[in-house]
Amino acid sequence: MVVADNLVKSFPVAGGQKRAVDGLSFRVARGEIFGLLGPNGAGKTTTLRMLSGMILPTSGSARLAGYDVATQPFEVKRVLGFLTANTGLYLRLTPRELLQYFAELHGMDRPAARRRAEHLVDWLDMREFADLRCGSLSTGQRQRVNIGRVLVADPPVLVMDEPTLGLDVISNRLILDFIRRAGDEGKTILLSTHYLDEAEMLCDRIGFLHHGRLIAEGTLEELQRRTGLARLSAIFLKLAAEGTEAAAPAGAGS
Amino acid sequence: MTFRRRVRTIYGKELVDLLRDRRTLIAMIVVPIFLYPVLMLGSLQAITVQTQALGQRAIIVAGLGGADGPQAESLAHLQYEYDRIRALEPSATPASKAPAASSESAPGDAPAAEVEDSAASPPPLQLSWTPCASVEEIEQCVRDRSAHVGVVFEEGLTFSPDRRNRIRILYDREEPRSATAHARLEDVIARVAARINDERREALRLPATYFDPFEVTATNLASPSSILGQILPLILVLMTITGAIYPAIDITAGERERGTLETILACPVPVIDLIVGKFLVVATIAILGAALNLGSVCATVYFGGFNELIATAGQGIPYGQLALILLCLIPFAVLMSAIMMAVCSYARTFKEAQNYVTPVILAVLIPGGFAALPATELRGMMLVVPVGNMVLLTRELLIGAPVGTSELLTVLLSTTLYASAAVAVAAKVFGKESVVFADVESLRSTFDRRLIQPSPRPSLTMALVVTAVLFPAWFFLQSWLQSTRGAENGLGALRRTFAAMPVMFVAVPALVAAYWKVDLRGAFGLGGASVRAWAGAVLLGMSSWIVAREMVVFQHNWFGMSDLAADSAAALERLLRDLSPVELVILLGLIPAVCEEALFRGFLLGAMRSGVRKMTAIAASAAVFAVFHFILAKLPVTFLLGAMLGWVCWTTRSILPGVIVHFMHNTILTLSAAHREWFSFLPQPQEGAQDHLPAGVVLSAIAIFTAGCVLIGRSAPKATGGSAA
Repeated sequence: MVVADNLVKSFPVAGGQKRAVDGLSFRVARGEIFGLLGPNGAGKTTTLRMLSGMILPTSGSARLAGYDVATQPFEVKRVLGFLTANTGLYLRLTPRELLQYFAELHGMDRPAARRRAEHLVDWLDMREFADLRCGSLSTGQRQRVNIGRVLVADPPVLVMDEPTLGLDVISNRLILDFIRRAGDEGKTILLSTHYLDEAEMLCDRIGFLHHGRLIAEGTLEELQRRTGLARLSAIFLKLAAEGTEAAAPAGAGS
Repeated sequence: MTFRRRVRTIYGKELVDLLRDRRTLIAMIVVPIFLYPVLMLGSLQAITVQTQALGQRAIIVAGLGGADGPQAESLAHLQYEYDRIRALEPSATPASKAPAASSESAPGDAPAAEVEDSAASPPPLQLSWTPCASVEEIEQCVRDRSAHVGVVFEEGLTFSPDRRNRIRILYDREEPRSATAHARLEDVIARVAARINDERREALRLPATYFDPFEVTATNLASPSSILGQILPLILVLMTITGAIYPAIDITAGERERGTLETILACPVPVIDLIVGKFLVVATIAILGAALNLGSVCATVYFGGFNELIATAGQGIPYGQLALILLCLIPFAVLMSAIMMAVCSYARTFKEAQNYVTPVILAVLIPGGFAALPATELRGMMLVVPVGNMVLLTRELLIGAPVGTSELLTVLLSTTLYASAAVAVAAKVFGKESVVFADVESLRSTFDRRLIQPSPRPSLTMALVVTAVLFPAWFFLQSWLQSTRGAENGLGALRRTFAAMPVMFVAVPALVAAYWKVDLRGAFGLGGASVRAWAGAVLLGMSSWIVAREMVVFQHNWFGMSDLAADSAAALERLLRDLSPVELVILLGLIPAVCEEALFRGFLLGAMRSGVRKMTAIAASAAVFAVFHFILAKLPVTFLLGAMLGWVCWTTRSILPGVIVHFMHNTILTLSAAHREWFSFLPQPQEGAQDHLPAGVVLSAIAIFTAGCVLIGRSAPKATGGSAA
């Protein structure tokens, strides 16, 4: 469902180019939850933005649901839902208006967009606050609206960049439940996170990103077997210390 | 989903979003609706109330001696005489201080003085005495404001015909109450003197003309220069800008700050649709703001009785022209919206955007403020000065001054050109990865040469900005070169103008292209062309001048030729005759052919190859080419010539065949005007009349022209499609 092949992204800096992502390759199968883990500056966000068709790769290629992210960015955007913890809402619109707006941007005509918004309002139990402006909603309510926005076109692929960063316990729980439920429904999920326990709990497979390179990839068991360590944090620190030699896949992959 | 539907969806959402914001409503509706009435009516009332209050308040007079001394008695005597006049003449005539009665009717400065002078009866006078021991003490009293004025009678007040009363009044002009008190006392003395004069004249049975040998009526014929009339257009223009600022910040930097930009960019919507939708909202709000401002100004002037203050005597605001004023403000609002959006797109936060906007407003104030000066007129360079031209045009329309069609068009077309460039910059900036995600310093990534990636041809934004900057610069340079005539007269100006063309049209874009690492060969479309293209170009060059000449004759015969255009054409012909044939070929043939092709077809049209449809690109570049000639009468034929040259360049993917066409066209046309004897087959004009060429000549030219077009059409490289790559 998601294929990255030798993906490179460079940014111009004084005196040359800086590689934020350096030859990244991995695959995510349909219905799989793939966790992209790494410290700040590892290249997680840049990778997800490239896979979402928001920025162009400098070289290499990536396909999402069969569409090339560089040449078919709009087709890519049609089949994915993008969520981050920092995602803001239009505070002067109501949840109902917001969902309808995004449904229209995904190509639905106005009646269809209205129906879809109504469906999501019911499904996510938002009726109580669906006509209040988003600016007056609690964090948990806003997260529900955000989930509704992600699902507005019922995309088969979800890309989530640090979706729980800085959230309180209740909102955090809401997002984690949503990811679990989406995974159960067969959606393909690409998740980047700082929180290794979340990755342990949710992900079918995990890729460690360090200085723009994938230094390890596999299931939790495969990674544990390879390093002889139990916790993901310890595994990551060991792999990072080993450096680029550890970049070879730990397991057979998918 | 179509472009139009996506833009409509974005437009609708952004408009609702903005109109729900309190700050937008305040900036757009509350400020204009309340600002003008409060400013104009409020300040006028405040001044009136203050003046009345000062007039009615007792005047504290410092004088020599006590309240029962001779000086105080003289003052009391004066007051007695004044009160007597008030009692006798409740509707006294205005007092005249000079023997000559004088009145002046001026559109701007009459009301205040006239209102006071024509008061029904002299106002009451209350005086309060402050005793002083010396003149120095009186001065001190006035300085420390314990008295409004000081009065010293040289001798006791008497109205004997053989004596003149000498009175010294000490006052502080900088202190409003002292200045008002002084004016009141002067008025009282003048009224008393006038009354005594009348009584003496009546006693001697002398006619009224005995003391007043003159009656002067002065009428001011200068252009209206009331402060209100000068300042209002500037306020109107500034308020239009203000209307664009907040929405521009909110939907660019504000969107990024709120974290919604990434969300919207993850949707299947092209950035250009997004920017167009947002830009239209900013422009809508700026235009609505402009309309509300204009409505508020007119309502205030109309209902507040300010008509005479703003316009020539008796005319007032030409309310019938309001639609035209608004129409003129639309391209201006569009321009300012695009500038604001381009500037704000660089900012990551609301506050940062506000910081970026401040210098822009200051930059706008300079030409705007200059245009608001009374002596500045809507002509010459001011026609193309951004903002300044709009301030002047609005002023002229507001005061009902006549504005020529060419002036109106020049202002509107230049503003539209600047607006297009600004929109292109806004779209470019908004879509930039580095700006959208702020991964690197946005401004640096645009201007730091080390961070710029090489490109094969200029971007549309670069081409539009260069063209928009060159337009006023070329206009200024031409005007300046023509105004600094030496002994050689117009010939020198002509030589200097064409000598400057390579610098403006080639060197400037080349330097810009080189800085931004654009391949110069690609930037100017210097690729080679096929033999067919060259042959076709020669055929077009041989014949296009006849087609163009016929079109000009047709235009003159059907639509007439203004005296000005006829005079300038005749003057140009005389100048051309003074040039040697070699110089004429170089100056009017070679230089324009190379330079104009390089700029309009190579740089501008070349930039439009990616992203703009063929016909739109050719038409747009032809329109810019035509506007750059600054002659209204030549617009149609230069547009068509530009379109033909654009088509040649687009088809052959090189400017070189176009250079041949342009060179031959210009050379033959100018030679035929300067050396008629060489073109004996042409009918010679009689007394300025223009005749069509013989049908045989025209038909042959059309045949050659068509053959040229066919050859050019068949010379198209295989890769050239019907639309943009």
